[in-house]
Amino acid sequence: MIHFKIEMMERAVRGEKFSYADEAFAFIEELDRLTAPDAVMDAMQKSLSLFGFDNFIMTCLPGPREKFEQAVLMRKWPKGWFELYATEDYVRVDPVIHHCRNTVQPFEWKDAPIHENAGPRALEVMNRAVDYGMKEGFCLPVHGINGYEACLSMSGKALDISSRTKPALHLMSMYAFERIRTHVSRASQQPAKTLTSREREMLVWAAAGKSAADTGDIVGITERTVTAHIVSACQKLQATNKTQAVARALQYRIITI
Amino acid sequence: MTQVHVITKYNRSSHENYIEQYYRLRHDVFVGERGWRDLDSENGIERDAYDDSNAIYLLAIDDGRVVGGQRLYPTLLPHMMTDVFPSLASRGVPRAPDILEWTRYFVVRERRTGRTDCRLLAAMQEYCLAEGIRQVTAVVEMWWLPRWQQVGFKVRPLGLPTLIENEPCIAALIDVSQRSLDTVRQMAGLRGPSLSRVGDLSNQDRVPYVAA
Repeated sequence: MIHFKIEMMERAVRGEKFSYADEAFAFIEELDRLTAPDAVMDAMQKSLSLFGFDNFIMTCLPGPREKFEQAVLMRKWPKGWFELYATEDYVRVDPVIHHCRNTVQPFEWKDAPIHENAGPRALEVMNRAVDYGMKEGFCLPVHGINGYEACLSMSGKALDISSRTKPALHLMSMYAFERIRTHVSRASQQPAKTLTSREREMLVWAAAGKSAADTGDIVGITERTVTAHIVSACQKLQATNKTQAVARALQYRIITI
Repeated sequence: MTQVHVITKYNRSSHENYIEQYYRLRHDVFVGERGWRDLDSENGIERDAYDDSNAIYLLAIDDGRVVGGQRLYPTLLPHMMTDVFPSLASRGVPRAPDILEWTRYFVVRERRTGRTDCRLLAAMQEYCLAEGIRQVTAVVEMWWLPRWQQVGFKVRPLGLPTLIENEPCIAALIDVSQRSLDTVRQMAGLRGPSLSRVGDLSNQDRVPYVAA
């Protein structure tokens, strides 16, 4: 808010009119030019501080068995809050996270409904966040292809969220999310090991419930060869056994049934 | 197996059945599901001013049944962004022979968890690459953007999000590129082309879209 006011005043002195639209388009073009992840982060923090934001988290919505820490793509949270949030496993009861699963529209934290099943712990998250200086916030849910779910949630002490600022904020947060997501996934991506058509074929038969012997009979190769293909597919998919290899191949859409 | 068929004025006569299915599904999806009352009609068919001989349809068809579709239209002619949504494109409406407007995209409900979505997106890139189309424009709800970006589409905003019937929508410009096509194919595990061009001669006789 303060940064924003100073910048507005400076521009007013220079006789320029501040436009949220121009700011948003300039930010998106800047993101396009930046390559280093740190530079992307800096640009994002600087631009979103125009609306009063100084804390950010970008995370995939973790599945029931997935750890929160592993789902996080990027964070700049007050000292101690991340540790507390992870230890308490607040992600399971956080109304903001919960609301992300039910809406495609960005929302303010205060508008995230407290769901009945979460009990008192849902309120506890919101109250503890206030202890860490995060009273007000804004969250952009992201729903992608193949069931991908994530969000960019941010907060600050004095936010400037109104019908005047919201369209630019919505657009900017969407591009910020996308830019960070591509950087993070690029950094963590394993070199792609593609399965051969035979390996895929063996997994398809396994998915259909066929044993190595059955598959050998159907395809007209020996059981030994079938097993060799499956073992190779397991290595490429970093799976410990045939079941996991089939599950991963389906998950990554390498095979379909 | 699902394939995406290109239907243009050149082969439309032999594909009327598919076009008819597409119009009906558009009514089901856009009026029935999404509640765009403006498009409602009594006969259960959703057809507008841009369903003329200049329209190019890319329809996902499985065993004779349309399971998804999309429409492309020349931007040099009056089109939806110039006629209906010019205010969404505050940075200007891009118009060129190698820019098409992309509208009426959908996947039928029962296919939304599968690969049909990616197949249609790949088909759009594939068709445009083959035809020398450089970019496409579209007006969509904001939640489309991350989906496109996830499959590697490069998307530029033409204006700020604007509320249409309480839903933030945006006018956007999307690049056509081999890289985007490769990314979407890889995401869905699609090998090889998604397009079928039986009887579609637009590729061969090279009549510019604007000639009509």
